[in-house]
Amino acid sequence: MNNILLLEDLPEIRAWMKALVLQVFPQSLISEAARVHDALELITAVKFDLALVDLGLPDGSGVDVVAALRESQPEAQSVVVTIHDDDDHLFPALQAGAFGYLLKEQARDLIAEQLKRMSQGEPPLSPSIARRVISHFAAQTRPQERPQNMPHVALTDRENEVLLRVAKGFTLPEIGVQLNLSRHTIADYVKQIYRKLNVSSRAEAALEAQRLGLFRR
Amino acid sequence: MLTRALWLLLRTGLAAWLLAAAGAASAAPLVISQALTVAGDFERFPEDAAATREVALPDDWSRSRPRHDGSVWYRVGFDLPAGTPPEQLLALYIERVCTNFEVILNGRRIHSGGRMAEPLTRNCHYPQLITLPAAWLNAQGNVLDVHVKGSAVQRVAARQRAAGLSALQVGLQTDLAELHAERLFWNVQSVQAVSVTLLVLGCFMLGLFAVNRRESALLYFGALLVGWAVLSLRIWWQDVPLPTAPWEMLGCTAFAPIVAFVVQFLLSHAGLRSRIIEWGLLLQCVLMPATLVWAGPARVFVAANAWYSLLALEVFAAMGLYLAVIWKQRRADFGPMLFILGGAAIVLLLEMAVQLQLVPLPRLQLMHFALPLLFLAIGVRLLQVFAHALQAAEANRSSLEDRVKEITAEIERNFAQLSELRVEQVTEKERKRIAADLHDDLGAKLLTIVHTSESERISTLAREALEEMRLSVRGLTGKPVRLADALADWRAETVLRLGQANIEADWRGPAEEIEHLLPARAYVQTTRILREAVSNIIKHSGASHCKVRSSVGERDFGLLVQDNGKGIPMELDGKLDRGHGMSSMKHRAKQLQGQCLVESGPGYGTVIRLTLPL
Repeated sequence: MNNILLLEDLPEIRAWMKALVLQVFPQSLISEAARVHDALELITAVKFDLALVDLGLPDGSGVDVVAALRESQPEAQSVVVTIHDDDDHLFPALQAGAFGYLLKEQARDLIAEQLKRMSQGEPPLSPSIARRVISHFAAQTRPQERPQNMPHVALTDRENEVLLRVAKGFTLPEIGVQLNLSRHTIADYVKQIYRKLNVSSRAEAALEAQRLGLFRR
Repeated sequence: MLTRALWLLLRTGLAAWLLAAAGAASAAPLVISQALTVAGDFERFPEDAAATREVALPDDWSRSRPRHDGSVWYRVGFDLPAGTPPEQLLALYIERVCTNFEVILNGRRIHSGGRMAEPLTRNCHYPQLITLPAAWLNAQGNVLDVHVKGSAVQRVAARQRAAGLSALQVGLQTDLAELHAERLFWNVQSVQAVSVTLLVLGCFMLGLFAVNRRESALLYFGALLVGWAVLSLRIWWQDVPLPTAPWEMLGCTAFAPIVAFVVQFLLSHAGLRSRIIEWGLLLQCVLMPATLVWAGPARVFVAANAWYSLLALEVFAAMGLYLAVIWKQRRADFGPMLFILGGAAIVLLLEMAVQLQLVPLPRLQLMHFALPLLFLAIGVRLLQVFAHALQAAEANRSSLEDRVKEITAEIERNFAQLSELRVEQVTEKERKRIAADLHDDLGAKLLTIVHTSESERISTLAREALEEMRLSVRGLTGKPVRLADALADWRAETVLRLGQANIEADWRGPAEEIEHLLPARAYVQTTRILREAVSNIIKHSGASHCKVRSSVGERDFGLLVQDNGKGIPMELDGKLDRGHGMSSMKHRAKQLQGQCLVESGPGYGTVIRLTLPL
């Protein structure tokens, strides 16, 4: 992890986060931003490996930054760092392409641990987020409304299986044991689920925009 | 009038029957059917005139003296019928005398029908009953002179008004009065009655048209009825202040607009319209009087009957067209209209036959009684249709009214629902705003404390406060949660936390699907209770294993949390309680109308039984 974007409006928290990030990734170069506008400018100038994005910012939502980053730098990982732990706030960010989320008030060690895991490709997945993902994919499987050029994204049986178990309250390690899968494989499924959520949400957004006549084919 | 007619019919029938039964008790009236006659404008019957000749009565001038116009004197002699009681009043009955007349008995003028000079009093349709003064009657050898003034058939438009004298009858006044009344009824009164009816119905039709302008058939029919009623004046208005020639022409001319109305009525009732026909009919109304004037008073009959034939042809054509159209349209009107129009056609043909002398003058007024009856039938039919339409409109209106009421009620319902929804939306929005404010403001400050405080204790307190705040906010904004989802959330969090603390977790819940909903507040409070219990186990129990069982009943659900730690020491129970948060757990359970029981003993761990209503 070389280039890291840190978007946070509270200076104290930003400083604290910076210290924490430097502790986890000592070699990294951190670009700081306090507003959405600044972050969007930075994105056009710098290529990032990781972006830590706060959601509630003075001039907008961090979701826009996540979406912009996903668009211009698909390899960059966006992680939402937020005080909101409810999926009403998290889910849009995940749809926009966030790869995971951190809750700000968690203990420093815990955040560091989660950050490390995410950077190693093990994103978290809570039951409520899993349920949202399930209902998202359930709602969008209406092929007759989908134009030909829209990609139809569907989850594999295994991915569905993992999602269902998470939604029922089983932890990822538990599911690994139940399905006789390695921790690494389970993490891959979760990553895949996040990726598909993003692709399908983007397709849906494009479809919606088309429906509203925002652009013409 | 109809009852009168019936009564009259009955009375005459009854009288005839009584007469037959009594074997002609009283003397039959004396019928005089021979008379001496002289044509010429004399003051008295010319005793010495050479032109005196004998004629048979009834004397129709068109046969006995063609083209004669003016005065004719008749003289008859009679003896009183044998057996006439002396005290009985006698009378002379003349069924038809046209146009006017006066009567002289034994040299004394006893009756005048009205003006004997132009404009004449027109008595053609009026039967005459003249009382014979007993004082001037002789038992034998009475001389009766009748002076008749009239017009040659060539000078009138209809044979009914050509001059003539019927047979004379002399008899008991009472007997003859009956005959007279009967004749008067059929000749005049029936026509008057029908005219009044036509007039009323016609005005009614015009009124209907006035409020319903699209039904032009009503206009034409109304105009036809009113026109016909006015035309019937000719029958009973005796003292018209017009000489015969213009009066005859006027009456004849009136048929042009009437035929126009008939044709237009039939066409518009069939749903047809032709400008050409309309203009033609209009032109005819002008052309007809013009040709009559041109023909002159001496040729009124010929001109009029030529026109009548043409008009009749027009009417027949219109009838045929009308019937063809409504037959094609399969209208229910076809049957009755065929019957009525067929009747009208027969009446018209009969009338034409009368004028052409193919049949004798009928005793019934064909044109002014029989035809109007058919008009009335059409009127009744039109009214029936109109009434049906009215009824249908009324039904439509009432059903429309019901529909409007229904829709109004629906709108009101929708509006109530909408405003409810709106209240909900506003409340929801407000909750979200408060939640956002709390997060942004209080949350940010608490967060700063969490991560910047030097003291671990303060940082922990701030973190707990933040957690509390978030749960409260969720309780504030939350929708009901499915119990199954809540159990999944609790399980995931508990297993994760215990796992991170290296405590083996064993959570089992009900296998079956759970459909119950949990209010947001209950969800938040239970989360707190469970979180507290898990924190206690992690911090204080020193347990290596934790068992959690969830169960769902009909009206409540339960959570059992059991660890294998060292339990809560008895002596520290009260003191430690606050630190362990037992009392707050119990308090929260109580707030939800549930209970939280804690069993603990040194050496065998702690069991927390939480039961909450659904």
